[in-house]
Parts: sequence; structure tokens; C-alpha cells
Amino acid sequence: MSDIDLHHLSAAYALDALDQHERAAFEAHYESCEVCRADVLAFRDTMTHVASSLAAPPPPSLKDRVLADIAVTRQLSPALARAVPTDELARRRRARSLGIVLAAAAAMVAVVVGVVAFTGRNDDTYAADLAHLMDQPDVQMLSLENQADAPGSFKVMWSPALGQAALVGENLTPAPGDKAYELWLITPDQSMAMYVLDPADDGHVHRMLDAPADPSAWAITMEPREGAAVATGEIMFVAEVPATA
Amino acid sequence: MGVLRSMRARHADEMIEGDDVAGHLLLRAGRGDQSAFAGLFDELSPMVHGVVLKVVRDPAQAEEVTQEVFVELWRLAARFDGTKGSARSWAATLAHRRAIDRVRSEQASRDRQTRDASHAVRDHDVVVAEVETSIDQARVRRALAQLSDIQREAVELAYFGGHTYREVAVLLGVAEGTVKSRIRDGMIRLRDELGGEA
Repeated sequence: MSDIDLHHLSAAYALDALDQHERAAFEAHYESCEVCRADVLAFRDTMTHVASSLAAPPPPSLKDRVLADIAVTRQLSPALARAVPTDELARRRRARSLGIVLAAAAAMVAVVVGVVAFTGRNDDTYAADLAHLMDQPDVQMLSLENQADAPGSFKVMWSPALGQAALVGENLTPAPGDKAYELWLITPDQSMAMYVLDPADDGHVHRMLDAPADPSAWAITMEPREGAAVATGEIMFVAEVPATA
Repeated sequence: MGVLRSMRARHADEMIEGDDVAGHLLLRAGRGDQSAFAGLFDELSPMVHGVVLKVVRDPAQAEEVTQEVFVELWRLAARFDGTKGSARSWAATLAHRRAIDRVRSEQASRDRQTRDASHAVRDHDVVVAEVETSIDQARVRRALAQLSDIQREAVELAYFGGHTYREVAVLLGVAEGTVKSRIRDGMIRLRDELGGEA
């Protein structure tokens, strides 16, 4: 994909010279981009030389304070190669309840907002559109929970004011021949928008899409490539939008 | 630790050796070894505190941030991934990020009170005097001297000054796109001069 704008941010990112929106956009991108990841590592190492040249020992009392702090600070467990669900039951319950939402909506022939089939990637404008989206003051971001025993991750960013969303899928298994990843967007009145996504042949999905003002959940299933009006596959990734205060 | 400390890296090859010490100590700290962490503090605290002090400036606040950084290193120690860079680099990245977060939140609260952007003066030259004399410093100085004026100013205002590249553009009176590419060009040059591994 041609996120030339994003590629060019790796140096500024390594210097912590991005604002929070650009930082988030870049972080959504760079882990899956070998060029950017290598750039960031190299630039960080370069700046470590600069950092070492600034050496200024802290006052000795600081060491005592730090050692006192860590004695009462719990350490995080190591990150595992694949995320292990911490609460399998709650996860299944949540998946089931959302499955019920999907099934009910389908059975009622719920107000289907639209089925959008993507024919090609919107590469030309993706980077600019994503940057514009991340600039919105009301932008929200959710990582979809991986429900399937499948690799990869999905993140969704959206702005109700702008009415746009970006979907970023990383490190996915390419869909088998006649299948594609399909996005389901559920609103509180149980109307749904369905987006037939590309099969992620290169393991990645980068999409801009129209979004309703108040999505209540986002879900991904695997469906026939031509799209499905009713979810037939298991929910692979899902996130419910937390209620806003 | 005393011997290791006195052998501490003063140029690139030795720096890598010194870093194995940090990586090893971090690994042990990740298993809950507090004395290994004390050694890690000895090894990395001059660098961490130096970066933080350079960005934050205020000594009392810098101490707070340095303390936060080390508690964070302790918390995350088991998640350190040596394939994503060295322990020293990880600590430098975390230290700089924390320092930046501190000055930006300070700046935000100050901006809310005064709405005055004019205090963002170019004061990065002053702090250069603070750095300790060392071969490292000479190397870094030499490398920075290889950059064009605008590259160097852009990199220094971002890294030492804690400004975003957009703010740097305003400070230097040039277009954002220009700053973005000068930062990139400057970093590529620095990388070539200093090496991409620490």
C-alpha cells in the first residue's frame, strides 16, 4: 500500500515529534510495515548514542526511592506470542450475546444500512484520509478482540462527526479462495452495515469506510467473497463500543 | 558492578559490550531480581536522567520523571524483547517519551492559562553546555555538525526541545512538509554517522 505520508513519519516518530493523533495513526501502521519498523529501530538506536552523550547521574537519594518503589510494585507477566484470553467464559458469553444480536438482526431482516463491496484498494487517498480522520477531535479507537484461534488483529478508528471510519487489519491469514473478511457494524437500533472486505491476500486490510454516528459494536466474520447478508461464519474479531459518560 | 561501570562504554564498540550488561541485568530483573535491577539502575540512570533533564529542564521534575521511568522499566522488564532493540535503546526511548509527555502536559496546562505561544523560545543552545565531556559527546557533536543548519535545528528542537514537527515548523518559519523531510534527512545522516545500533 502506498502510505507514503506514513512512511515519512518514522524519523519524527522516533524523535517523539508527532502529536497524539499522528502518533496513533503511525503506531497503527508501523508494526506491520517492515520498512518503517526497521527505520524506527535504527533511528532509536541512533538517538540512544545521543542520549548516552547527555549522561547526568541523578542524585544518590533517587536510587533509594526507586528501589523502595519497585519493592512494592508488581511486575507484568511476559507478553506471549499469542494472546491467551484471561477470561474464557466472559469472552464466550460476550461472543454469544453479540452472536444473538447478529442473528436476531438477520432474522428480522433488520434495517440493513448497506452492503459495500470493495473492488479495489483505495490506496491513493488512504494515507491522507486516515490522517484527516485522526485529526478529528472526536476520533475514537478500538482494538477488536480476537475471538478465533487465528493470527492477526483488527483496529477500528472512527469519528462520529466526520461520519468516517478506518479499519486496519494486521498480520492476518489470507482468506481461502472463495472467502473474504467481512465487517459488521451494529448500531443500537440493531441496524447493520456490512462491508465485504478484501481477502487480505498480503495479510493486511486498510480501509476507509462510512460510519454511523453511534456504532455499538464492530465484528468481523469470514464470509463468501461476494458478501453475505446474514452472518454465516463465526465471529472472529469483535469489539463493543464502551458507553460514553 | 563497580568494575563494569568504570569500563562503561565510551565509544561505539564498547557501548555494545556495555549494553550486554544492561540486557543481562534487565533479563534478571524481569524475573523479580531486585539486586539485578539495582545494577541496571547504576548502569542506565546517568543516561536516563540526562535525557530527562535535557528535555524537562527543571531538576525536581526531572527527578520525578526519572523515578517514573525506572519504576516503569521494572514493571515491564519481563516484556523486554531483545529482538526489537537493545536494553539501553529501550530505556532511552522510554525516558524520552516520558519526558516529552511531561513537558507537553505542562505546556497544555500553561497554554490554557495564558494562550501565549510566544514563550516557546529557541533555548536549545543553552543546554548544550550541560552535557558532560566525553568521547560520546564529541562523537555526537561531530555527527550533529555534519547536518545542515536546518536539519540540525529541526532534530534538536524536536528531540531536546520536545516540540512536535508542526511546532518546529512554526519556530523555524518554514513549511511543515519541509520540516518533516529535514528531520528525516537529518536522522538518516545521523544514523550514518553514529550507526544505527546502540
